[in-house]
Amino acid sequence: MRKKNNIPNLMVNLFLIIAAVFCLMPLLLALLNSFKTKGELLTNVLSFPEKILFQNYIDTFEKMNYLSSLKNNVIIVVVGVSLIVLFSSMAGWKLSRTKTRFSKVLFALFVFSMLIPFSSIMIPLYRVVMNLGIKNSLWGLGVIYSGMGVSMAIFLYHGFVKSIPKELEEAAEIDGCNQFQLYFRIIFPMLKPVTVTICITNVLWIWNDFLLPLVVLSKRDKYTLLLSTNMLFGQYSNDWTAILSALVLAAIPVIIFYAIFQKNILRGISDGAMKG
Amino acid sequence: MKKNKKQNLMLVVFVLPAFIVYAVFKLWPSIIGLYYGMTNWNGLKKTFDFVGLANYVEVFEDTYFLDSLWFTLKYVVVMVLVANLIALALAVLIESRRRSKGLLRTVFYMPNMISMVIGGYMWMFIFTQVLYYIADNTKLNFLDQSWIGDPNYAFIAIIIVSAWGAVGYLMIIYMAAIQGVPKSLTEAAYLDGANKYKTFIKVTLPMIMHAVTICIFWTLNASFQVFDVIYTLTGGGPGRATQSAAINIYEEAFRGNMRFGYATAKSTLLFLLVLIITLIQLAVMKSKEQEL
Repeated sequence: MRKKNNIPNLMVNLFLIIAAVFCLMPLLLALLNSFKTKGELLTNVLSFPEKILFQNYIDTFEKMNYLSSLKNNVIIVVVGVSLIVLFSSMAGWKLSRTKTRFSKVLFALFVFSMLIPFSSIMIPLYRVVMNLGIKNSLWGLGVIYSGMGVSMAIFLYHGFVKSIPKELEEAAEIDGCNQFQLYFRIIFPMLKPVTVTICITNVLWIWNDFLLPLVVLSKRDKYTLLLSTNMLFGQYSNDWTAILSALVLAAIPVIIFYAIFQKNILRGISDGAMKG
Repeated sequence: MKKNKKQNLMLVVFVLPAFIVYAVFKLWPSIIGLYYGMTNWNGLKKTFDFVGLANYVEVFEDTYFLDSLWFTLKYVVVMVLVANLIALALAVLIESRRRSKGLLRTVFYMPNMISMVIGGYMWMFIFTQVLYYIADNTKLNFLDQSWIGDPNYAFIAIIIVSAWGAVGYLMIIYMAAIQGVPKSLTEAAYLDGANKYKTFIKVTLPMIMHAVTICIFWTLNASFQVFDVIYTLTGGGPGRATQSAAINIYEEAFRGNMRFGYATAKSTLLFLLVLIITLIQLAVMKSKEQEL
């Protein structure tokens, strides 16, 4: 079967190349046009820029408070993901090791809510946010994400713990390890493979989430990258050079993240989905 | 008994931190939402009253919301079909490549990394600027449409952008499943004289049905909640022609009249609808999986 049929083979290659170009086109066109002057962009959106013009980027950098937005994103993600990893690994381990009815009920309580979509709890959650006084709080937003993210993470940890031999824990207990030493010194390091998956999926989810920050953050100095981009689009809706450079700037962090962790991301996606 | 008690105590200590954040930000809002849906709470007043099922009665007369549900259903059906067919086709074709496999996978997953807010605006540029330019300067006149302003074309535009964003994720899952199919099976089929197409339908597809179930489940869930793409691309317009249920709920609560109680009732209904449909889907697919 690996002979002659060169023509179908060529067709497949051609199709895949066209599809790949289609896939990258929005990014490439945004990049290409973000270096142009307004006039140049209006005359031809497909040409290469006459000369690489960084002025759009310099202007947009200021207009969208890039560094401050980036910093806000980082705070939310770091708080959210650290809490998810710490809380869920502790809970997932004990839930998996404790074979009581109470433990099963607790686990079921965590898992069942994975079916509830965000839009269904958005408004009651908004009231919780107001009552706790954490509107416009980046730390608060990180904690909210941890509350919404623990279910899935506990589910993954719970499954992974089953594959760790119990003897190790028993030996450590006999050696006089208490439960917290046991968790921090022995269990948590062994959970590393699933921790990596959980970190990556949650970083991406929180980083790219739009609706929750849109509801919770209303002060401009608390805006995330997406909120700033959205705001900039509202203000300069006809100035595509400003918008496109903002879009490229907003996309850069994720693209760098993808470039570094590509293998882990792609593996994490299929692992996470198959178990979830 | 004693051992159980001690174990449970330790369990509580370790589960408590997770339980607190979970209870406050997920469990409590889910439960109390059922009550808010039966009140006339709005964002402007401090107090509100219990109104029973009045909100639910009103929902069924709310043509804007019913239209948005209908739009969402159309969107879900088209997305489940389009995104999964494209993803499956790409997965099969890319799996058949040897050298370019890794690169193609990286490229096709790329849109998934980028938020649909960014993706939505990038496509907006294409629909409002680039396509006009191409239509003006070439013979591809059919591209000269009001992609955002005309309801029908706006629907197509939304599907294109959504599929662009979702296909990579589904493709990765399908590829993992295809890799799990034993080579000996497909080779045996070839030896028995089956062609590639037949081998795929009769051997590979039944072997990856679990991935199909997962992908359809994921697409259903994600599509029912569609927000970002529509918010950035059309904002629900022209008029309310492309308003999804999530957009309708958001607008009811956070724009204009701020009717939180009523909007919560709508969101509860949306949740029940999604729950019923996904449970049916899972039951049907699971029984199919066993048949094969």
